[in-house]
Amino acid sequence: MTINTLSQDGVQRQQMPCLTKMERMIISMQDPDMGIKLRNQRLLITVIPHAMTGLDIVEWLIKKCSISDEEALHVGQLFVKYGYIYPLKEPRNLILKADDSSYRFQTPYYWMSTRWPASELDYAIYLAKKNIRKQGELIEYEKECYNALHKRINHTWDFVVMQAREQLRASKQRRKGDRIVLECQEQAYWLVNRPPVSPEHYKLTTLTKNTIAMLTPWCSLKYIGVSNLNGSYVKYCEQYQPHDPIMQGCLPSNPWITDDIMFWNMNSETYMFIVALPTKLRVERWSFSFMELLNDQMGRKEFLTYLEKEFSAENLCFWQACEDVRHGETAKIPEKVDEVYKQFLAPGASRWVNIDSKTMEKTLEGLKRPHRFVLDDAQMHIYFLMKKDSYPRYLKSELYKNLLARAIVPQETKKSVFPFMRRQRHSSPSPALATQTAEDDGKAKYSNSNSGTASRL
Amino acid sequence: CSLSKNKFTNNAYTLERPIKTTMLDALNKVTACYRHLVIALGSTSDSQNLREELKKTRKKAQELAVANRTKLTSLLKDKNISKDDRAEYERLWVLFTSSVELLEVDMKRSLEIGQDFPLKVPTRHLIQTGMTGSTTTVAARAMSVQNMKYEADANIDTVDLKELETEIAQVDQMMEEMEMKVQVAPWAVEAKQEAGAELKSTVSVGNSSVGVISICEEEPKETVEGETGLMKVFAGVIFTAVLLIAGILGYLVINL
Repeated sequence: MTINTLSQDGVQRQQMPCLTKMERMIISMQDPDMGIKLRNQRLLITVIPHAMTGLDIVEWLIKKCSISDEEALHVGQLFVKYGYIYPLKEPRNLILKADDSSYRFQTPYYWMSTRWPASELDYAIYLAKKNIRKQGELIEYEKECYNALHKRINHTWDFVVMQAREQLRASKQRRKGDRIVLECQEQAYWLVNRPPVSPEHYKLTTLTKNTIAMLTPWCSLKYIGVSNLNGSYVKYCEQYQPHDPIMQGCLPSNPWITDDIMFWNMNSETYMFIVALPTKLRVERWSFSFMELLNDQMGRKEFLTYLEKEFSAENLCFWQACEDVRHGETAKIPEKVDEVYKQFLAPGASRWVNIDSKTMEKTLEGLKRPHRFVLDDAQMHIYFLMKKDSYPRYLKSELYKNLLARAIVPQETKKSVFPFMRRQRHSSPSPALATQTAEDDGKAKYSNSNSGTASRL
Repeated sequence: CSLSKNKFTNNAYTLERPIKTTMLDALNKVTACYRHLVIALGSTSDSQNLREELKKTRKKAQELAVANRTKLTSLLKDKNISKDDRAEYERLWVLFTSSVELLEVDMKRSLEIGQDFPLKVPTRHLIQTGMTGSTTTVAARAMSVQNMKYEADANIDTVDLKELETEIAQVDQMMEEMEMKVQVAPWAVEAKQEAGAELKSTVSVGNSSVGVISICEEEPKETVEGETGLMKVFAGVIFTAVLLIAGILGYLVINL
């Protein structure tokens, strides 16, 4: 709701400790006996009190804190930099000079505060006031800020103008000297909180902009070669694209659209529905990664057949048993682990797996207190063994190649003669569109809505 | 107030709008004056009177805020208003909420500064900022009176702070309620004023302040340029007048 939300939580924030310390020092400078000696600032007609020279400040700091010249100058600089003291002659130059240049204290409202950061709305009001006073003659930087603010907080601009006018009318009620001080104070506050940008900075920003413009075309290149992640992600997408039902469509037809579950039956994972021949896409997918092969029940079965020929079937069985332990019931874990040990790990076991001695020791140690992940190390070892050794050989084997040759490519369901009976192969671009058309046409036929959507493609 | 009244002459609500904007203008004025007073807190302009002025201005601001809120919420809740009207009321609502937010921030800050700078202490450590005049005229402007009357006790600086805390809580609560009850998207409102609209104001800010600026700018001499011109002319006029009178008197004395 607000742009001043920062100041709304302001009370919960703490003032920065360094600022609190500075405040305390400023207050101690006000002491009538021990404080800084103040003089009057003489303008042509008006005399404004409470001015001090840079030298006064430095000397007071030396006396009060018993520090050296340099340190006192540095501390004094901090006061000026953070806006607790502002220079009178050269307001834009926020430095402390240890000579007779005059300075004045800033009023507590304008003290730097982490609890009350300078808000954009206030800055806009200040610039509007300055605009009125100077009849539109703002400096370059302020003009830019003004325009930027006008764009950013446009919705409260009326308020900005109204408030600027009212604040000026209110300050007209004060007497001359006070009015001068008020203006100097406000200006000093904004010079600290919104420092003007130097021309060098402008050059730098244009340089940065040009550099960015030059480098942008490079970012759109596909193979930058800088990041392997980028390359491998692209490779992954390319590899899997033919298998994605949304991108490529699925044969024979998308069950969600055509209500024909042939696709699911042909690719089923459950053992019950094992089909004679898998689809070509499915078999190809086994060659992408070992995990793909293992995740597919049919693939696993084929792989097991292959391993049996190679006399290393126990590896896969062991792996499967470990998976069972990991994902099975907690109550049965000790029992299962025991089984695994007897079958695969015990010396002289019927299906002894070849694990290196270190892992074997660790596993045997862990078996004394069996838990879900006790066989993880061994499983990992066998997994990598299969992946590096058996799997590549399987992919090159006759068994696999034969299967790939025999794999079928299902026919796309025949398109009906009548257009309204047509089944679409590609899924609709957005389910929202489909439902919208369905709503629009009332209880239209499902196929009707689909052809309607397709015609929009 | 730059609202054009021509557009809605046929509208049944035309009569109410002028009243509303005067209330809103009044709130705006009081907010500006309150900020002006809070700026003086903790400085050498601070005094018992200032604390009382703050208190009175604050209370007036809150009254105006409540009145505006009631009016605007009843207008915005009405479903039978035209789109244009609704847009206008939303704009007024944004004006109103910005005013109240500013007020709330200033109230919180005045609490903080008031606590840091108590008045009833053996040695006051008010910051010597160069401001020494009183703020009574500003407060009078806020309260729309000719002269301010001061009737508070000597320990207003501590007593008032407690009241201030409760008032801040009330304003917070009011703002929360406003946010909940009125569904206005502030960013959707378009301001009527263009950039630089303030320059077309009929308010004359006074010649003197034009000259005042040169003091705060990077000019090596500490002279007030606009001022000098005026004063020079004035002094010249008086000088010649005195010379003339002296001449005439001298002539008369010699001749008679």
